[in-house]
Amino acid sequence: MQRRMTWKEFCFILPLLLLVSVFSLYPIVSSFVYTLFDYQTNKQSKNALYTGPVLNASLYAEDCDYLVHYLKKDVETVDASDRATLQTMMDTLAGQHALYADEKSTVTLSGDTGSQIAALIAQTRRTVETLGARYPDLRIVQKAPTLLDEMETCLITGNFVGLSQYGTLFQDTRFGQAVGSTFLFTIISVALELVLGMALALVMDKAIRGIGMVRTTALIPWAIPTAVSALIWCYLYDGTSGIVAALFTRLGIIASPELLLTTQGGTMFAAILADVWKTTPYMALLLLAGLQVIDRGLYESSAIDGAGAVRTFTSITLPLLKPSMLVALLFRTLDAFRVYDLIAVLTKGTPETLSIYAYKMMIGQSNYGYGSVIVVAMFALVALIAFVYVKVLGAELIRE
Amino acid sequence: MKKTLSILLTIALALSVTAALAEPVAVKFAAQGDSTPATQAVIDAFNASQEAYKVEWVDMTNDSGAMREQLTTSLKAGSSEYDILSLDVVWAGEFAASGYIQPLDMMLEDAGLNVADFNAGSMASGMYNGKQYVLPFFPDLGLLYFRTDIVSQEDAAKLVAGAYTWADLLAMSEKYAGQGGTTAGFVFQASLYEGLICNANEFTSNWKDIKGGLEMMKQFVQSKATPDNILNYTEGETANSFVKGESVFARNWPYQWGVIKSEGTITTDQVAVAPLPGGDTVGGWLLAINKNSANPEGAFAFMQFLNSEAGQLIMSEQGGYLPGLNKMLTDERIMTADERLSMVGFQNALKTTIARPVSAEYSKVSDALQQAIYPFLNGSAEIDATVTAVEAALAQ
Repeated sequence: MQRRMTWKEFCFILPLLLLVSVFSLYPIVSSFVYTLFDYQTNKQSKNALYTGPVLNASLYAEDCDYLVHYLKKDVETVDASDRATLQTMMDTLAGQHALYADEKSTVTLSGDTGSQIAALIAQTRRTVETLGARYPDLRIVQKAPTLLDEMETCLITGNFVGLSQYGTLFQDTRFGQAVGSTFLFTIISVALELVLGMALALVMDKAIRGIGMVRTTALIPWAIPTAVSALIWCYLYDGTSGIVAALFTRLGIIASPELLLTTQGGTMFAAILADVWKTTPYMALLLLAGLQVIDRGLYESSAIDGAGAVRTFTSITLPLLKPSMLVALLFRTLDAFRVYDLIAVLTKGTPETLSIYAYKMMIGQSNYGYGSVIVVAMFALVALIAFVYVKVLGAELIRE
Repeated sequence: MKKTLSILLTIALALSVTAALAEPVAVKFAAQGDSTPATQAVIDAFNASQEAYKVEWVDMTNDSGAMREQLTTSLKAGSSEYDILSLDVVWAGEFAASGYIQPLDMMLEDAGLNVADFNAGSMASGMYNGKQYVLPFFPDLGLLYFRTDIVSQEDAAKLVAGAYTWADLLAMSEKYAGQGGTTAGFVFQASLYEGLICNANEFTSNWKDIKGGLEMMKQFVQSKATPDNILNYTEGETANSFVKGESVFARNWPYQWGVIKSEGTITTDQVAVAPLPGGDTVGGWLLAINKNSANPEGAFAFMQFLNSEAGQLIMSEQGGYLPGLNKMLTDERIMTADERLSMVGFQNALKTTIARPVSAEYSKVSDALQQAIYPFLNGSAEIDATVTAVEAALAQ
């Protein structure tokens, strides 16, 4: 039974809690808030989080100014009877322009200002249509319809959509494919890394001559920045001059050398191979740390009892390595699940994993709302993976 | 002591103010590096032509996708870091819709300029909700390059006149591949990127014959007349193959003419250009003014200068850029400076230009098209599903 924390003790951890909330919780909460809005920075009616009615004042003022500008010349050309109508229209619009000309962005609409503006736009449209029948060549007649359409978009009602974007996510086949590719990449690469990393760790654990050299050399792939190693592999996989592509074709693994970087299966294979090459040493390093804390005495006793190498491995090494394996697998799985840089450099985005899809949505298409939904879904999947690992592999570790 | 100090400070301040008054106002121009001296020359000429403004070139990354991201990140934050922006033709709709750039109609009218004076494709790309947002930086168009020393005169005449189909080109590619030291018949851009859309636009005759066009494109990909790794080809690989004399035909932009001249193992005497069968995709760059710019007048003055006769002459003579000011296309001086304009095939191509889909969400449309077309070309999707996906993308 744990003792309750005193007030004084709590004061000591308060700075830490504050840091955690600023640097960890705030981004998560704001990502979640984004998912509730149709937030797209390339549309002026959706480029912020609008909960209530606002007016895109700068664009509205600009449109009024355009209409006034066209009207100025048109007033001179119409008959005297219509001049007054156009003059009134021009004065009203000039008044609106003056009212909002100094606004840099949006203003909150209070009371019935919004409906007044909507009525003004509708009325201007009617007047222009009436005039259009008699003066089809007037500039205002030709230009006003598109400008009035744009003015209507200035009246922003809000872009809060609640949880509906999560609904879209479940129908999004591209998201489904991205989840599939991400899991496939993660499972195969981590499994290979675990087996190869374990083998490497067992070798590096032996006290043989020149082991320092072996350990250093084995770590080189891990020391190379991912973007650089992705470029190296890009050359190796190249259809015309890549040695790996040529070798695989010779061995009959692929039908022709260009397939590695152009087909869905080829790119997946290429990305997994490059990732395994790069991160096996990291896996080995984490496992080696675990191997080194195993009591050597246990091995001596098992040798005396006559246990073979296989028995020793399954009964001593594996069980005692479990905590290290859990940590290594958790790290590597989460890392592989978020893979971005390797694929972005190697193939410019195929196979499309969740990170790549989220990036394309947010940065490529400026759709931060839906992009955030993908990110939150990734967050949920990552949490799920961590949960499964801890449940399956580490239940007793946590209890201890 | 204190008094002397304050007097000195006042003098220093006064001096710096007068100095600032005499100094021209700096106008920042965001543009990619130029392998020719033209951009710098036109900036220098503008700076020398007047004293009010001094244009400073901010060098942007040559990776267009990365440049767009850099610009949108800056503009989204309301930054006035750049005054003049150079934009790829397909970005203008999005930038205008986002409210990042200023409409120019009033300025154009005050300067006595008409939209019709400039390259129609470029100007149309920057027309959004009835407002004109851009002036041309330099227009660009897709062309067919071919080897006159390999292709027979009869075929060459057909090509230059544009009296051929994609199927004819495929047949010719297969016929001539391997002749004259070449290894490939035809090279084009089929990698998974924007260039794929430019090429598909030409293969499908501006998306009028989607099924036929894409099936034709796949025939080219599968043909022995194109390199095995054609699905990795961008402009770089295309130019590399053609200027080294490894291919008979190549689809590329006008800049390849300059590459042949400067680093080709073949010479321009061995090369001619022709319009493409399905039309020639318009590309190139535009100039626009940041909405938050502190010096829109200075920015416009530079844009106007670049699009004046003097500016166009510099761009053409020193960089080989096509004029965006229509009347200069037939200008004697430019026709002498730019030999391409005197080619019949080139002038024919200028008449059959086609635009890519114009949309405020172009990047989304383009991405959807790439995701639909590329899997068909590499064999992991069927034609019917692809056509449906392409139609859906275009309807966005």
